[in-house]
Amino acid sequence: MIQIQNVSRWYGQVIGVNDVTAEIGPGLTAMLGMNGAGKSTLMRLITGQLLPTTGSVKVFGMEPFANPEVFKRVGYCPEIDNFYEHYTGREFVHFLGRLSGLTNAEAKSRTEEVLVEVGMADRAHKKIAGYSKGMRQRIKLAQAMIAQPDIILLDEPLNGLDPVGRRELMDVLGKLSNEGKTIIVSSHILFEVEQMTRSILLMHRGRLLARGDLRDIRALIDRHPHKVRVETNNPRRLASELANLTNIVSMNFERGDRGLALQVQEPDAFYTALMDIALTTDIEIGGFFSPDNNLESVFNYLVHS
Amino acid sequence: MESAIFTQALREFLRLRRVVPWVLFSLICGALAFIWPKFQPDVTHQGQYVNVIAIFVFRMVALASAILTTAIVSQEVEQKTIVYLLTRPVKRSSIILFRYLASVIVMGGISIFGLLCTSFGAHLGFSNELLTKDILAVVLGSAAYGAFFLFISLILNRSMLVCLLYAFAWESAIPNLPGDLYYLSINSYIQGIAQHPASEDANRTVTVAGGMKSTALLSSTTSIAVLILLSVTLVVISMVWFTKFEFVPREDAE
Repeated sequence: MIQIQNVSRWYGQVIGVNDVTAEIGPGLTAMLGMNGAGKSTLMRLITGQLLPTTGSVKVFGMEPFANPEVFKRVGYCPEIDNFYEHYTGREFVHFLGRLSGLTNAEAKSRTEEVLVEVGMADRAHKKIAGYSKGMRQRIKLAQAMIAQPDIILLDEPLNGLDPVGRRELMDVLGKLSNEGKTIIVSSHILFEVEQMTRSILLMHRGRLLARGDLRDIRALIDRHPHKVRVETNNPRRLASELANLTNIVSMNFERGDRGLALQVQEPDAFYTALMDIALTTDIEIGGFFSPDNNLESVFNYLVHS
Repeated sequence: MESAIFTQALREFLRLRRVVPWVLFSLICGALAFIWPKFQPDVTHQGQYVNVIAIFVFRMVALASAILTTAIVSQEVEQKTIVYLLTRPVKRSSIILFRYLASVIVMGGISIFGLLCTSFGAHLGFSNELLTKDILAVVLGSAAYGAFFLFISLILNRSMLVCLLYAFAWESAIPNLPGDLYYLSINSYIQGIAQHPASEDANRTVTVAGGMKSTALLSSTTSIAVLILLSVTLVVISMVWFTKFEFVPREDAE
C-alpha cells in the first residue's frame, strides 16, 4: 500500500528524513522514535504535504503530493493541536467529512458514528475552544476516520489522553486494524507502542534504524544489564533478599539509605521477584522505575550492539 | 466538496470580529459624508459623496482586501489548520478558487455597504446616479485587490505587512505621481470605472488624498477590462502556484 524508496527530505541545511526505504501494508504499524527522529516528516511525505528531496513515496502506486485520488483513501490525524476553535466538534468533523467527498446526509450520519466511536458523542456540541487536550485528540481522530479510509496515519495520537482514553483509542485502532486497514501510529513512548502492536519502524535522527517485530528489539534490550531504581525504607534488608537472585548484576546503596540502584538481567523475572518480596516480607517498597526503559536506551543498545 | 469549501470560507470571513470593524468604518464614512459641509460649506450633495468615496471607501476596499485575503491561505498556514484542507480529496486549485470567491463576495458586500452609508450620509440615498458604477467599481476592485494580495500571500511569508503597505502607501502615492505611473495602481482603474465627475468643489488636497488625478485619464471600459484580466490572471497563477508548492506551517518544516 505504501512504498517508500530511498527517500530523503532536507529542510535547508537540516535533514528531516535520511535515505529511508520501507513498505507498509495492512495492519497496525508503529513508527517509533524520539522527538526529531523524522516521524512527522515521514508522515507528511506519505500524506502528500511535503515533496521528497530525493527518492519516491508511492501510496496505492501513486505519488501523494497534492493528489486527491490518494486522499480519498487516506485519513490523517496530525500532531498539531490546532483547530477552527469557534466550531463545535460536531461541525468540525462534519465539515471535514464534506471535504472528504461525503454528501451532506452521509457526512451527518458518519459524523455521529465516529463521534460515538471516539467517545465524544455527548460533548461534540460544545465549541472546540473549550475542549481539553484529550477531547481535542478524540476529535482529531474522528475527522481522520470519517470517510472510512483504507489508510489512517496518526501522529502521536495518545498525547494528552487519560489512561481510559488510551485504552479506548487502542481498542478502536485494533478494531480498524483487524478490519484490514493500514494504520500507522507514531510515538516516542515505547511502552505505548508495545500495547498496540509488535510491528514497528524504529527511527533515529532521520534514519530508519530497524524494522520488524518489537519482541526482537526487546530481546536485544534484555540481553543487556538493565538499570532499576527501587525506593524503600530498608534498602539493606531488601539487598539481602535480592542477593539470592541470579539475575542481579550489581547493587548500590543510595546516599541516606533511601533507595537501591541495581543492574539486572532478564528484567521481567526481576520484577516478579520484587513483587514476591513486597508481598511476603514487611519491607516497604515505595516505588521502582527503570531509567533504561525508554526509547533512548533502546537506541543506545541498537547503535552500540 | 467545493460547496463545502465555499460555505466554510464564507462562514469564516463573515465572523463578527472580521466584519464588525468594516461595518463601523462604513458607518463612519456615512457620518463623514453627513458632516462634510461643516468643513466645506459650499459643497453639493454629490460633492460630499464623491469626496468621501474617493478618500475613504475606495481605500477601505484595498485595506479590507489586504486583511481578508491573507485569510485565504496564509492565516490557515500560520494557524496550522491548512493541514486539514491539504489532506482531503479536493484539488488545491479548488481550495484557492472557492476561498477566493468567498472573500470577494464578503469584500464586495462590505464595500457596497460603505457606498450605501456614504450615499445616505450625503442625502442621496438610492437615487444616487453614481451608485451603479461605483458598485461595479468596488466589486471589480475587490476582485483585483483580492487576487493581487492572494498571490502576494502565496509567495511571501508574513505577507500582511507587504499587503498593508501596498494598500496604504502605494495606492495613495502612485496615482498622484507624474507620468504614466498611475497605470500601476489598482485604485486608478477603480476611479476609471467610477468616472466621478470632476468635483468643482474639490480642492487640491481632496484630489490628491483621493487619488482622483487619473480619473479622467482611463476610460471605464479599459478599466473594467484591466481589472477583470488582472483578477483572472493572478487567480490562475495562484491556483497553479498553490498546487505546485508546499504549504506546511513554518516551524513544522524546520
